[in-house]
Amino acid sequence: MNNSRSTLIMAEVAMMAALAVILDLLTFLRFWPQGGSVSLAMLPILVMAFRRGVRPGVATGLIFGIINMIYNPFIVHWLQALLDYPVAFAVIGLAGLFTIKGKASGPQVVISLILGVTAGVAMRFLAHFTAGVVWFGEFAPEGTPVAVYAFTYNISYLLPSMIVCLIVLILLNTGSRRILQPA
Amino acid sequence: MFDNVIIGQYVPKESVIHKMDPRSKLIIVLLFIVFLFLTRHPFILGMAVILTFTAFSMSKIPFGYFIKGMRFIAIIIFFTFILHLFMTREGTVLVEWPLLTIYSGGVIEGSLIALRLFLLILMASLLTLTTTPIDLTDGIETLMKPLKKVNVPTHELALMMSIALRFIPTLLGETAKIVKAQMARGANFSEGSLWKRLKALIPVLIPLFVQSFKRAEDLAVAMEARGYNGGEGRTKFRQLKWKPLDTGALSLFIAFAVLTVIFRFFE
Repeated sequence: MNNSRSTLIMAEVAMMAALAVILDLLTFLRFWPQGGSVSLAMLPILVMAFRRGVRPGVATGLIFGIINMIYNPFIVHWLQALLDYPVAFAVIGLAGLFTIKGKASGPQVVISLILGVTAGVAMRFLAHFTAGVVWFGEFAPEGTPVAVYAFTYNISYLLPSMIVCLIVLILLNTGSRRILQPA
Repeated sequence: MFDNVIIGQYVPKESVIHKMDPRSKLIIVLLFIVFLFLTRHPFILGMAVILTFTAFSMSKIPFGYFIKGMRFIAIIIFFTFILHLFMTREGTVLVEWPLLTIYSGGVIEGSLIALRLFLLILMASLLTLTTTPIDLTDGIETLMKPLKKVNVPTHELALMMSIALRFIPTLLGETAKIVKAQMARGANFSEGSLWKRLKALIPVLIPLFVQSFKRAEDLAVAMEARGYNGGEGRTKFRQLKWKPLDTGALSLFIAFAVLTVIFRFFE
């Protein structure tokens, strides 16, 4: 990768992280008491992952995660903090494993979008789930169904978020191909 | 829609805590978070309470700011307390009702957990309340430097983070402009089914993304025109300064960490 291209990608990553913060503020629903909301915050991370691949996608997620931790902290344990913020958003960038090839046609594009978004959000879910188990392991009394609770709690906002992001992403790509597939 | 949006929690004040180096503050909070969980000893917990409240009163931040950020967290603390109260079956029976019994062990366990959570959250929010995001970024960058050896581009990540923080207000303004432009054309974002609202977002999102990528391109060109080429040999305009105060505060918390470990072994 030559130097000017990497500077451009860095600038794009920064802009997308900033955009993620803004989209996170324009939340549809925010009534999950222990953090988590249905918003489009994942959209810029996914866009970056599909546009430039895994590394820039992961970087976007990492930066958004850290900024999110600064202005919206919910920290109860150091491992939970690490998993819930930087790690959870960074792994969304793995959606970039399914970047769109240059000549892909309509249905193929939709399939890679579905696969990528599912993979990225599934990884994020795994991070939140583990964090949930860590935090409950620390605070909940013996005998509480830890895994069940962490599972339902996280899926309850991640699934709607994922569906919303996926729909918007597909609509976005039909509207303007240049966003996900730069010249 | 865009009024009263505050990015970050920083409260500008002239205080000792505000003047501390972000690196020392980060290390202190990290030490505190990790070691607070190693202990149940009343002496250490008392020390943690004193440390937290001293730091808190020195920061000159009105208590209202903490309360504002703690509304949700208070619910969590309360629930964990209640859970422990009813689930722990140790110690003597304090209350006996037909459906529930409360043991003394439950009260102790519940209060202990609630206290630890409360202290931890107070300390973590103190960091973000007294340090600007840009200072935090610089601090994180220096602390992450060892990761450079395993090929993590720490400098680039920190730079991207400062750019992102710098452009949040700019992009927020742009978003507001696009939203208003589409509303002037008759777009409606706050009515109709969820599907309708989602579709209404597309005419906002497409120009938003296109503009952001254009901005990124302009920025990259501007950076190159000024000779930016990677992290090697780059100097800083704003230098972090480690003061005696930082050494003092840090040694206090290292003492806390060491004591925690000692008490754990001799318990």
